Parts: sequence; structure tokens; C-alpha cells
Amino acid sequence: MADHELQVSEKKEVATEQGELTREGTYFLPAVDILETEKELIVMADIPGVDSKDVEIDLKDDTLSIVGRVVGEEPSDAAYLLTEYPIGNYFRSFKITDVVDQPKIKASIADGVLKLVLPKAAKAIPRKIPVTTE
Amino acid sequence: MPFLGMHRGPFWREFDQLRREMDRLHSVASQGSRVGFAPMGRGALFPLLNVKESPREFVITAEIPGISGEDLDISVEGSTVTLKGERRPDDFGTEASYHRRERTSGSFQRCLTLPSKVDPDRVKAHYRKGVLTLTLAKPVEAQPRQIAVESE
Repeated sequence: MADHELQVSEKKEVATEQGELTREGTYFLPAVDILETEKELIVMADIPGVDSKDVEIDLKDDTLSIVGRVVGEEPSDAAYLLTEYPIGNYFRSFKITDVVDQPKIKASIADGVLKLVLPKAAKAIPRKIPVTTE
Repeated sequence: MPFLGMHRGPFWREFDQLRREMDRLHSVASQGSRVGFAPMGRGALFPLLNVKESPREFVITAEIPGISGEDLDISVEGSTVTLKGERRPDDFGTEASYHRRERTSGSFQRCLTLPSKVDPDRVKAHYRKGVLTLTLAKPVEAQPRQIAVESE
């Protein structure tokens, strides 16, 4: 077992100035990890309840946006005894500062976690410059 | 306590709904049945739960993205459900450098007492798309029965 406890993080709703989504519904900001290796950028986002077909990833100029829709929440006649978390769609966008090889972007989703792999374009991969002594 | 005797637009409907839910929660709590109501913010425990009740069953849902089934431990005793588990951190090797790290990892444990007993043999747990759904059937004696009124 891990030696620390998982903390509750409440869902944050997307502020209107951040996204220009005119579609109906509530949008939340998913928690993300962004990491970089020598050859790629990796974005991991928690979007529980979203099916792979309901994810839209868009890279326009240098803005990467992720939209995940939660569908299939069928209304039922069951009464809520407890509602601690809201259910809604997800939206988040980032400015990508590295040069990314756009056609090679890969996205996969498993257990409610979206993984985006953005390979850096050849010119963005750092080259080692040998230093010679005279 | 109606606080505005005017026509109510759709805006107020949300509030009415909320108020009814609050009233119902209070009445449930004062009847002595214990529904764990964790106030949001401080003191809330992971995972946050939504609980629905229908005449035959309780449905508990929790958003726990990125765990595997074997890291989840669910037990039921009487009317108490215990959820235990661990969310492991991703492993990208040592050469990866993080720019942002918001997704947390760690272990969790949470108990919830339902207003009535559940049948421990008829508990179904389902983990899909990062959402855990627990369906707990009420024992037959706890289910409401329709009683027909006979007229002579």
C-alpha cells in the first residue's frame, strides 16, 4: 500500500472565458499530468465516464484542446440519497510551445484516463553539440 | 417555507430541487438511519460517492479513474459498505520530466452505512470507464410491498 492517502479534489467548472463552448451542459476541468521525454510530450487527463468515441482532440496552431462528453446517464426514478460529486463533460486546452509532429499524435483511453502522446518534430529534438577542446 | 410568492422561472427550479433534496436528507438523518453525508471541502473522503435508492436496490457510484480491478477491495457487512483501494502513480521512467502534476495517487478507504440492510450475496461491482458502480440489492424483507385494499 502507498504510504499516503488519496485526497479528495473537487471538480472545477470551466470558466466561461476559458472556453467558448456554446453547447449545452456543464464542463469541468480534468486533472492532468504533462510530462516530457526527449522525444515526446505526454498528456494524461482524468476523464472518468467518457467513452473513447466521445473524446475530441483538436490541435489548432499551438492550442491543444480536449473535449470529453459524458453520455448515457439515463435518468431514472431512483432517488438520490447522496450526491457528493457532479457529473458533467470535460474541457481543457493548452498552449503547446514545442514543435509537435501533428500527424503522429496518438491518443488512447483506458479506465477513464486519456493518454495523449505528442511526438516532437525532428527539429525540436535536442541535439547534443559536442564541445571540443583546442 | 416559500420565500417568494412569485412566478418561478427555470432558474428557481434548481433551487427548489436543491431545497427538497436538503429537506429529504435532513428527514432521513433525523429518522435515525445513518446516511453518511460528508460535507464538501474539508473532511470529505476519497472517493466521493453518489448513492441512489430505488425500491429494490441501492446504486453507489464513484469516479476513480486509472486503477485496476485488483487494486479495489469491496466488502459488505450488514448495511455497511467498505471501499478500499490504491491508485498507483504512472511510471514513465526516470528520464521523463513533469511540467504539471495534478493527478494524485495513494491509498483510500471509505465506509458508508446505508439506511437498510443489503443482501451480501447480491452485490454487483462494475468498473468501467473509470467509474465504479456498485449495485446492492435489498433483501426481500426490506423491499416495499404493495398491499391491495379489498372492498367488500
